[in-house]
Amino acid sequence: MYREKGMLVSEDMKMSDVILHNYYLLIMLEHFDMSLVVQEKTIKEICQENNINVEVFLAFANLFNGFGYRPINVYSAGDLDTIIKYLRRSHQYYLEEKCPGIYDFIKQLSEVNNTPEIKMLDTFFEEYVQEVTEHLNYENSIVFPYMLELFSKSRETIVTPEPRNYSVTEYKNQHKDIEEKLTDLKNLLIKYMPQQNDRQIRRRLLFSLFEFEYDLHVHSQIEDSILIPLVEELEKQLKKR
Amino acid sequence: MGDVIRIIIAEPSTLIREGLMQVLKATAHQFYIHKVDSLEQIWDLQQRHTIDVVCINPGIVLQAPEQISRLRSSMEAASWGGIVYSYYDPRLLSQFNFLLHITDEPNVIVDTILQAANYSRQAENSSQHALSDREIDVLRLLVAGKSNKEIADALNISVHTVISHRKNISVKTGIKSVSGLTIFAVVKNLINVSGF
Repeated sequence: MYREKGMLVSEDMKMSDVILHNYYLLIMLEHFDMSLVVQEKTIKEICQENNINVEVFLAFANLFNGFGYRPINVYSAGDLDTIIKYLRRSHQYYLEEKCPGIYDFIKQLSEVNNTPEIKMLDTFFEEYVQEVTEHLNYENSIVFPYMLELFSKSRETIVTPEPRNYSVTEYKNQHKDIEEKLTDLKNLLIKYMPQQNDRQIRRRLLFSLFEFEYDLHVHSQIEDSILIPLVEELEKQLKKR
Repeated sequence: MGDVIRIIIAEPSTLIREGLMQVLKATAHQFYIHKVDSLEQIWDLQQRHTIDVVCINPGIVLQAPEQISRLRSSMEAASWGGIVYSYYDPRLLSQFNFLLHITDEPNVIVDTILQAANYSRQAENSSQHALSDREIDVLRLLVAGKSNKEIADALNISVHTVISHRKNISVKTGIKSVSGLTIFAVVKNLINVSGF
């Protein structure tokens, strides 16, 4: 779906219409910590109520609807907080809900289709979750605090220059591996793993994998094309002082 | 979308831009051409349409390399070509998917663009073929934990060739990680499962 272009979302649209057009946006609302009951309200109204820059919301929603990111200078460093909160909440969802859910399906799969291949799949995913956990913990405990610190420094009028040996550029494109292995898993299940009384459970597993992949893909786009450029700009400004 | 090929031309020289358009229009193929004079316009266009080919003056790329790389990553399906009529650093030119030279014959230009458009469409649905014997040899050594260098030595081929085999294996199977390929090899009975 994210490869096909959907509706180009704008601020005066009703939130309900946008959700009915692409229900994946429900997970986005959850990551924004918004209520799923949207009444007759427009996107603009709901963003105001939730104290979220509507431009940030639109940018994310349009990524979910398959549009490339378009750099417009409406984001300010103040949006950093919103963006990071969103990302942290999605991390929590991946680790506490999505990955355990997928793992559960794989366990069920191995119960009905008890072959060495499926056991290997089990190990494959276990290792995968470990990698994902490490990566997300790294972002939570190193990258995000660094960004927020940078932001609070940028608001101080007097800055004491100190040597910084970390830069966001280092962490660009680190999501690639995480997305890649998910694709591997999908391909193995669709093309190669022999089926044995497991059609139903395999379908559930695949649906869940597609969902995760979709969310993760947009997640990486947010980090690579919105968050990192924003922080690189901050780094540049602070260097000039 | 049919067989219409959607092209963006970003070229400041009127003579060359119009010339390129004339060459494309003189063929039986359906080209939908957008002339642009800023990167902003490319952002707008790619939001509204799926772009097959971008023909751009390398000088523009040189001026805004970061923005170009972001554009390229959000236009995954598009093939990028440089319009070359003065000297540019070969490293810059190597970033393009194809090049159009000012001395190229019209039919060469059209063929190049058609190929690029096809390429960009194929990129979306990877072709499916069985692995060759050589690729299976590489795969077996790879999942046994051998490095590219070790595989090259064992099969008496260059490391470069090993890398290109590995690329083909991943395109054909849709699997990139070594651990994923290991499972593939077991499913296909290419290796013995007892070792794992």
